[in-house]
Amino acid sequence: MTVMTDRRTGLGGWSGRTITGVVLGIFVLFFVIPIVWLLLATTKSAHGLIVDHPFAPGRLADLRTNWDQLFAFQDGAVTTWVANSAVYALGALVITLAASIPAGYALALTRFRFRRALLILTLIVMLIPNTALVLPIFLELNSVGLIGSPLSVILPMSFFPFGVYLTYIYFTTSIPRDLLAAARIDGCTELQVFTKVALPLAAPIVALVAFFSFVQSWNNFFLPFVMLPSSDGYPIQVGLTSLLASTPAFNPSSAGTQSVQLPTLALATVISVLPVLIVFLFAQRFLITGLTAGGTKE
Amino acid sequence: MGEIIRVFRPSRFVSAAGALAVVLALAACGGGKDAGSSTGSYGFPQVAQDDKAEITVWVDADRSGAVDVFKKANPDVPVKVVTYDGSANGSNSFRTKMQLFDRAGSGWPDVVFSSQNNDAAWASQKSNGKQAFAAVLNAGLVPKATLDGFTPGSLNPCTVDGKVYCLRNDLAQVVLWYNKTLLTKFGYAVPTTWEEYQALGEKVAREHPGYIVGTVGDAFAPEIYFWAGKCQANGITGPTSVTVDTGSAQCQRVAGMLDTLIKNGTTPNISVFTPEFVKKYSGKVLLMPGPDWYAGAIFNNPQSLNVPKGQLGVAAPLAWQGDTAATGNVGGGTWFISSHSKNLKAAEKFTQFITTADDYQVNLAPGYPAFAAAAEKWITKQESSGYYATDLQPIVTAGTQIWDGWGSGVFSQEAIWAKTMTPAIANGKSLVELLPEWETAIKNQAQVNGYTVQ
Amino acid sequence: MTAVEQAVRPAAVTRPRPPGRRSAVSYGFIGLYTALTVAFGILPALYAVYLAFTDGTGRFAGLGNFTKVIGDFRFRPAVGHVAYFLLLWLIALVVLVTVLAIVVHAVRLRWLGSTLRLIFYLPRALAGASRVLLWLFLLDPTASPVAGLLRLLGYDSFVEVIVPGHLPPIFAIIAFWTGAGGWIVIMYGALNNISTEVIEAARIDGAGPIQIAWRIQLPMLRKWISYMGIMSLAAGTQLFVEPQLLSQASNAIVPNDYSLNQLAYQYAFQQNDFNGAAAISLLLLVIALALSAVFVLRGGLFETD
Repeated sequence: MTVMTDRRTGLGGWSGRTITGVVLGIFVLFFVIPIVWLLLATTKSAHGLIVDHPFAPGRLADLRTNWDQLFAFQDGAVTTWVANSAVYALGALVITLAASIPAGYALALTRFRFRRALLILTLIVMLIPNTALVLPIFLELNSVGLIGSPLSVILPMSFFPFGVYLTYIYFTTSIPRDLLAAARIDGCTELQVFTKVALPLAAPIVALVAFFSFVQSWNNFFLPFVMLPSSDGYPIQVGLTSLLASTPAFNPSSAGTQSVQLPTLALATVISVLPVLIVFLFAQRFLITGLTAGGTKE
Repeated sequence: MGEIIRVFRPSRFVSAAGALAVVLALAACGGGKDAGSSTGSYGFPQVAQDDKAEITVWVDADRSGAVDVFKKANPDVPVKVVTYDGSANGSNSFRTKMQLFDRAGSGWPDVVFSSQNNDAAWASQKSNGKQAFAAVLNAGLVPKATLDGFTPGSLNPCTVDGKVYCLRNDLAQVVLWYNKTLLTKFGYAVPTTWEEYQALGEKVAREHPGYIVGTVGDAFAPEIYFWAGKCQANGITGPTSVTVDTGSAQCQRVAGMLDTLIKNGTTPNISVFTPEFVKKYSGKVLLMPGPDWYAGAIFNNPQSLNVPKGQLGVAAPLAWQGDTAATGNVGGGTWFISSHSKNLKAAEKFTQFITTADDYQVNLAPGYPAFAAAAEKWITKQESSGYYATDLQPIVTAGTQIWDGWGSGVFSQEAIWAKTMTPAIANGKSLVELLPEWETAIKNQAQVNGYTVQ
Repeated sequence: MTAVEQAVRPAAVTRPRPPGRRSAVSYGFIGLYTALTVAFGILPALYAVYLAFTDGTGRFAGLGNFTKVIGDFRFRPAVGHVAYFLLLWLIALVVLVTVLAIVVHAVRLRWLGSTLRLIFYLPRALAGASRVLLWLFLLDPTASPVAGLLRLLGYDSFVEVIVPGHLPPIFAIIAFWTGAGGWIVIMYGALNNISTEVIEAARIDGAGPIQIAWRIQLPMLRKWISYMGIMSLAAGTQLFVEPQLLSQASNAIVPNDYSLNQLAYQYAFQQNDFNGAAAISLLLLVIALALSAVFVLRGGLFETD
């Protein structure tokens, strides 16, 4: 029994740690190498990208050239695109939270007639390929005249069954029902039970759902592509395809004044990713607080 | 499980039926009303016209400069610009968006630029009972003099059943590029026939291994070699009919020639847009049959081969011994006018300007203009740059020699070649033995796209 | 024992169900979500069903669309591709993500754990057109950062790497690289909610880390794992992004009708046949539902304890 006191650390003795280290190391390399390459690629010239060693750092001058080329593209369209993406993603985020958190809570911790039906229906809808849903949604929004407005993108993106399920699972696994029962016994109305008891405990899942909703909206290509006819309203994902179409490597006949080189494309990629990373870092803090928040008294 | 059965209570059916009713209503309202009526004077149903209405123009990034030029020359015409990806790289976005607008019954732009040259095949047809998107141009909308001013044959991809549905922006005729300095250095003569080309390739493999006389790794390789060889792989005979015969003598001779050259390494199975090509063959390209835009895209491009000044020459397309000269074509964009446009006059003015005016086509356009008069001036301008080792008249000649037996169907020949042939060649199979497979693949693809194979 | 102390016990212990309080307020909670579901889920799905059973002009077509798509020469290869991919993808995701999540969770150094999660998540943030560029280079032995590895496997050119036989593993790798991070974050959050007292108790009783993972953490993650299983099934059957981006990167050497979902897209937007597309989508849905049922039942996804 005394031997056990040694096992204080998370993964046991040296052999455990070595194996863990190796496993983690391999996966870290797997995830990180392409990213490092991409970052380095933004600092190279197109020719350098091809002939230089993949991990050789480029030059600051090349980075500046790429930066200039990127923001000269269609007179700074990139900035507009990023701004648009932010508007759509944040708009969808607000509506998603307003819809998903209460819904997940209700599905998990209250009883009402269509509970099972809604769960099953949500699951089914999640499994339907997007291709089939695009046209009907397009027709729907067209019939209310929304095509071309930001709402045509924000509203469909606010439908986030994935988030509802996450919330549902969270509430069923981490919130003790007795806590709610106690609150009810103490005289709280259903609304108060939700706002005063469940919601404060749900900070991690709110952060998680908010984050996933933001990222999904940010990365969504097909919906804005279909709904938005005007290039002013493009989010970054659709704009990137315009960039791609101006890259001779992918579109041979596009050699011309507006040609975009591969490292510039890499730079555009990095820029399109930054907001997501910032939101991620921000949301991470809430995940850690979940460690102490789950199941506390009060 | 009992819970699940409860789902199918009668009340559920009622709500489902109600939902279905809404859906059917949606389906009904999705069907656009044919706004309008009468077949106008231009040979297609027109909507009520308004000469002051703003026109919406869809262009890709490379063509947005063209719109600026138009606006400067015609400040009184209100133009709204939308940039999209030009339907490039297989995205098919032009067709996708127009189909969605068809179903919604509204929203079409007035003028669209497509970087592809096969959009007339679908834009000229009614889809699911809806009016065809493209306006007919040769029934009065565009003056006949203008249409006749295009290089003969350049409007073939735009012509379906004798009606012209689009104007060609640029031509992409295949010519024979060569490195004059290297050829002189090695003592080779520029070939004039494919037989000489093959002989030269064999000689190069013996005497100067590592040098190449062409490539077959691009998706458009069939358009360079097989089209020029008059192979009947893409005989589009009508909007929904096609003949495919890759077993003919013409196809066999091209395949045989390429097999020899692939095997001895002088026409490798590499795409000219890969890092591999630049790394391996910079400075090693002796000859290169390819479209005219290779000059800017590959040779005179610091990011690619970066051939120095005064080395690059161009020769007329090769012919097979005893046969008339013919060549292929790789690309060339097209401009469409929408049949739903409210301001056909302005749309036509724009399109005509864009394809014929010197302000754009000669001064700014990166590619060889399809409009003959502009093309001559464009060539002169290119020659004056002093980059080329020869004059560029072969490009003009080649522009008139594009073989008309290779059509522009809705399905993509390039995609078929890339999917079926390129991996097989990489696996070591010979083109001659792959010809039947190619034919089957083309026929299959044609059929799912609604063509009947004859 | 006060009510509150009782409540602190782990949620996995079955408790008597509290007296049913069917309250109208519940409808208020689900109101907005239900409206969105109806507008963007149910109605479009019904429309898709309507499309699948009618033809282009709206007339009833019975099973015509289904026979047409199943008889398409690209259908059977696409089914094979998706099946093979699904197998690799499911195993990789469910097994590897769970293992990685548990390992990352066990890392004691806070900053290391955070950094690891960030690293694993980074690829997920990269989406869309940008990936085309990335994988074009990654898979080309002449310019790739992992060229050594590719050469070791015997490939000297891009075309050799993307031959049809290699594609399912390649797509599984790409999909895993892009998708694992998100799930690791979710699993990590789920692991956080397992009470540390239980784990401490087990450790005192002599359980090693592997036993703790197997006996305590995994059962508590059951619902999450089954959810992940279902979602990866859905994602797997709807394989689209990876072949599409490789198709663009390779200029169509990887075809744009490789997977069933791509085929549906081709039907809709290349052949202007939304009815065929709807038929394929319904087939995909049925398959995904059937496979999900396994996860739902074994994972107890719909139980509320």
